[in-house]
Amino acid sequence: MKYDIYLVGVGGQGVLTIGDLITGAAARQEIPVSFYPTRGMAQRGGAVKARLRLGREGGGPNIPERGADLVIAMERSEALKAVRFIKPGGDFLLFGHVWAPTAVMLGKADYPTLAQVRKQVQEAGGRMHYLAPENLPLYEGAPVAANIYVLGAALGHTPLGEMLDPSQVANLVQTRWKRGAERNRFAFQAGLDAFARN
Amino acid sequence: MSKNPPIPPIRVLTGNQALALGALRAGVQVATGYPGTPSTGALTSLLRMDLPGRHVEWSTNEKVAFEIAAGAAWAGQRALCTMKMSGLNVAADAIYSIAYSGVNGGLVIYVADDSGVSAGMCEQDSRLYAAMFDLPMLEPASVAETYKLVQVAFDLSEQTGSPVFVRLVTAIADAHAPVEVEEPAPPEQRKVILERDIAKYTKAGSVICINQHRDLIARLERAGQIIREMGLNELQLAPSAGMETRPTDKGGLGIVASGVAAAYLEEGFEILEKTPASTLRVVATHPFPAEEVRALLNHCDTILVLEELEPHLEKSIYVQAQRLGFEGRIIGKLDGTFSRSGEYGVEQVVRGVGEALGVKETRFFEKNQVSDVAEQLAAARPITVCAGCPHRGTFMALNQALKNLKLKRDEVMVTGDIGCTILGMNPPFHTVWTEVAMGASVSLAQGYVHSGIETPVIATIGDSTFFHGGIPGLVNAVQHQTPLTLIVMDNGWTSMTGMQVNPGTDEAFQQPGSHRVDLARLIPALGVEQFFLIDPFDLESSTETIQQCLTLPGVKVVLARQECAIQAQRRGLAAGKVQVIPEKCTLCKRCVIVTGCPAISLGEGTILIDPALCYGCGLCAQVCKLDAIEWEAVK
Repeated sequence: MKYDIYLVGVGGQGVLTIGDLITGAAARQEIPVSFYPTRGMAQRGGAVKARLRLGREGGGPNIPERGADLVIAMERSEALKAVRFIKPGGDFLLFGHVWAPTAVMLGKADYPTLAQVRKQVQEAGGRMHYLAPENLPLYEGAPVAANIYVLGAALGHTPLGEMLDPSQVANLVQTRWKRGAERNRFAFQAGLDAFARN
Repeated sequence: MSKNPPIPPIRVLTGNQALALGALRAGVQVATGYPGTPSTGALTSLLRMDLPGRHVEWSTNEKVAFEIAAGAAWAGQRALCTMKMSGLNVAADAIYSIAYSGVNGGLVIYVADDSGVSAGMCEQDSRLYAAMFDLPMLEPASVAETYKLVQVAFDLSEQTGSPVFVRLVTAIADAHAPVEVEEPAPPEQRKVILERDIAKYTKAGSVICINQHRDLIARLERAGQIIREMGLNELQLAPSAGMETRPTDKGGLGIVASGVAAAYLEEGFEILEKTPASTLRVVATHPFPAEEVRALLNHCDTILVLEELEPHLEKSIYVQAQRLGFEGRIIGKLDGTFSRSGEYGVEQVVRGVGEALGVKETRFFEKNQVSDVAEQLAAARPITVCAGCPHRGTFMALNQALKNLKLKRDEVMVTGDIGCTILGMNPPFHTVWTEVAMGASVSLAQGYVHSGIETPVIATIGDSTFFHGGIPGLVNAVQHQTPLTLIVMDNGWTSMTGMQVNPGTDEAFQQPGSHRVDLARLIPALGVEQFFLIDPFDLESSTETIQQCLTLPGVKVVLARQECAIQAQRRGLAAGKVQVIPEKCTLCKRCVIVTGCPAISLGEGTILIDPALCYGCGLCAQVCKLDAIEWEAVK
């Protein structure tokens, strides 16, 4: 099975960590994988994108327009930049966090509404799966890492979960950081169950 | 005991890491470079390892780095030099001459081009340099191939006595993929070669130069032979007439694909559901694989050329076609099918084959209008300096100084330079006007001065960029006493490329035995008589100093010194502690408008400061007119 994933978000959200974990899990299962992140210039706060290609031996790292089986978007406005890449019928997983640029904060520039984003995804033929940031689960009173939660949701509710063994990925998440292993296990599991609860 | 864990046989590596490990496997002894996206990761990964008996360093600039590597190769060792394409322009002078002389130990130059421009700077095609220098160039099509080809490059360099290029593009340098890795070769104790031979190592005299040129041409020819014998450029002639039955006897489509473009062939054939055509996968882009191309031209009636950026191979294919009397079509850039700008993907394979066979695959030809609309709706996200960045204080002080002098910002030329300091071009500062080449801010400013501009001229540059290319420009200004103000923003690190050391970095963070070159001593020693040291977190005093400089004659240099906040925060440091007094905040937004600090957001009736981001620089407290932000020093 060949499976292409396009990831977008803002630097600092852990977007590239999602890609890194999927890559690590695929490599462990001996699935051919290519992960091509673009950080841009900034340490934080700049647009981030990445392309993940699973099951393709020796292919190139770029995903063509209308080619992604799955889009994972971690920020509402950045999601619009991934619309070009969603395959008609593909899954579009949006964590609707709003990271407003300064001009938006000052009321000098527009920021897209959720309805606008939904409409664009729909017109491109994507199947929207929306995760509301206000539903980000709490662990011991503090919100969990959104990227781990979203990774869980991607495995729980798209064909990615058939390619990669969720328990393997959970294992990888727990061993990646010594501190907060239990918190991350909780975040990942909450993601796996996210749509089942809705 | 070595700190390096054993290398597992299959690892996920970036192209940069694969290049570094390939060089280690090849027994590289000396590795040098200057940071530059997307090439930085190669040397970074070597510096992270404990490599006794080998020398790895970030050098002052690419020319220096290359000359060090060349010196080691002349002394018989294997050497690697890494740079981005802009760095190749800096090193070009030395590379040209050393290409003429040739080398003893293997010398590999790794250059990374940024087709599609994901980082910034010119969309340069460094293959044209290989042609100009008469140096072999290898161009891997994947991360795994990078690991193998860099080893081939070292062997080829020693077999021919020629420096050899390995060129990656961003899509390979920064891509991660599993690679089968072997144990690195232990450092080889090669005997140092001390060869006194002015006919080889100097350019002193026309006979010497002419002979070296002949030798250079012969070395390249020899490289071509070796590359052919190794079958590096893989030619596969389709047994029948290729992909489609054609009315002519000979016929079918022949595809020439180089570098990363070749990686998309299979995917393209899958989409088109066609039998593969005849293909020539070009891994060694220079010297031109003339023999293989002639075989393809003799076999096919249509040629499709897939190469990013310049029609480099394509032009040489036209030459061979002319010589053979080839009458078919050549599809590429010169016939207008493809653009000389941007990355290649499977789209180009499908479009090119479609063009050749008259098949139009709708998915790749239809304009993606939905997506254009979607992207227009997305909010612009201009990047600014990080929370706690000392450059923020310098730009704020500069803007305030202009205001105090009743100078309008669009009447005062502020040249800029490469690195984080260029973020002064963006909101909220809009301070900096230009960014072209390392160190150019200092010299461009002098050109403006000599043009008769009446307002003060200001140049801005970061520490690493100043060391790299700014010093000659300043020496020139001192010699000619050109009136200008140069602001050197010294944060102690080469930050934009991911925190590398430079000559001014604190010795505690340098390799053992290194010595810090202190800009506060270097700049006055260059003959700068009006030298000022400022703390960019002290807005009032910084503004006053810059304002004073703008009214003084002659050369003025301001050294704005505070460490990069990202690096300081990683060590648990803070510049101070900032607290918002919600009762006093009226949400006037002045702090946001003036500082643009990413740690500040708007809350209910008051601004909020993210404690995880805030470094405590206190600049927001200094611009708040309502005393709604309190700052205290951290002891």
